[in-house]
Amino acid sequence: MCKYIKKSNVEATLLDNEWILLNVDQFTVTKVNQLGGYCWDLLNEVQTLNELYRSIRVQFPESEELTINDIEQYLTQLIECGLVEHDI
Amino acid sequence: MSEKRAIIAEHIFLINYSDSIFEKEINKFPETEVDSIDMYIKIMGNYGTPFFNYDMKIKLTSNEIIFQRNDYLIEVKADYSEAKIYVNNDFALKHAMMNLYSCYIVYRKWGLLLHSSCVIDQNKAHLFTGYSGAGKSTAAKLSNPRILLSDEASIIKIQGNEITVFDSPFRSETESHAKNLTAGIGSIQLLIQSNQNKRELLKKSDALMQLMDKVFYWAHNREDTKNILQLMQQLVQNTPVYELYFQKNESFWELIS
Repeated sequence: MCKYIKKSNVEATLLDNEWILLNVDQFTVTKVNQLGGYCWDLLNEVQTLNELYRSIRVQFPESEELTINDIEQYLTQLIECGLVEHDI
Repeated sequence: MSEKRAIIAEHIFLINYSDSIFEKEINKFPETEVDSIDMYIKIMGNYGTPFFNYDMKIKLTSNEIIFQRNDYLIEVKADYSEAKIYVNNDFALKHAMMNLYSCYIVYRKWGLLLHSSCVIDQNKAHLFTGYSGAGKSTAAKLSNPRILLSDEASIIKIQGNEITVFDSPFRSETESHAKNLTAGIGSIQLLIQSNQNKRELLKKSDALMQLMDKVFYWAHNREDTKNILQLMQQLVQNTPVYELYFQKNESFWELIS
């Protein structure tokens, strides 16, 4: 199964409970919500999709409709934004 | 070679220039007697071709940063103690100086050069920013007789929670009449032309997202780019940022004053 980790060239700052992520090489900024910020925090260490999904369901029990596919799509977006990479 | 000791905000530059055609542009920088020089700048002409686009090449060597556009080239020491500027004409010189100054104040973690006009009202500096054509210079013109600190590029000093705007020599249509003037920041407006006036406070995270691409900055190393994020965070933490929907008349000031 794919493993994910945050890229080292990203700076993050917290404003109004939302994370702003800056790729310092591309000079691009991305804003993520509270759930995304939690996800981002977990990605300090290598995570599999299942590990991430389980942690999120524990932390946000109200997010019953969230599927593992949603998390995978979210990670794909973070990869496209230059914030996360596959850990090989 | 001619020489001028110039001051921009709190920074002293000893400028040497080879050609009197640069005098008009260099004279926009106020003269100072202060001894301590922050940067030595040498300006030379006969470079490249007249401006045709904003494409910039940036090269880093072990001890220099090189910024190259078709109409100017800047070679600056990595510690910003000395710079050589080669330009095609006075337009190129203006942009090269903005380029150099903007990168310098970010390197020093002193502040930011923001693409905006700035007007003083009741001793507070109010900035007007937005995309090209949004109305930055229109808002400035409609603010007469208030004093303008800038009509194109605002110099913002950001030190902790103290945010100060300085008179800017980097202007497009107006001349500076108050070269030593500063004011504490009052607000920032993101301009949207409309048929009615309305002002809405932005969340700080949205404000930061909106303002990031209004900074005059050319990313060239990670440390300086990190400085921008820190400076921008301090700016939005300590300054209300609004979307200002405005009619093209002075009535929008009723929402600000």
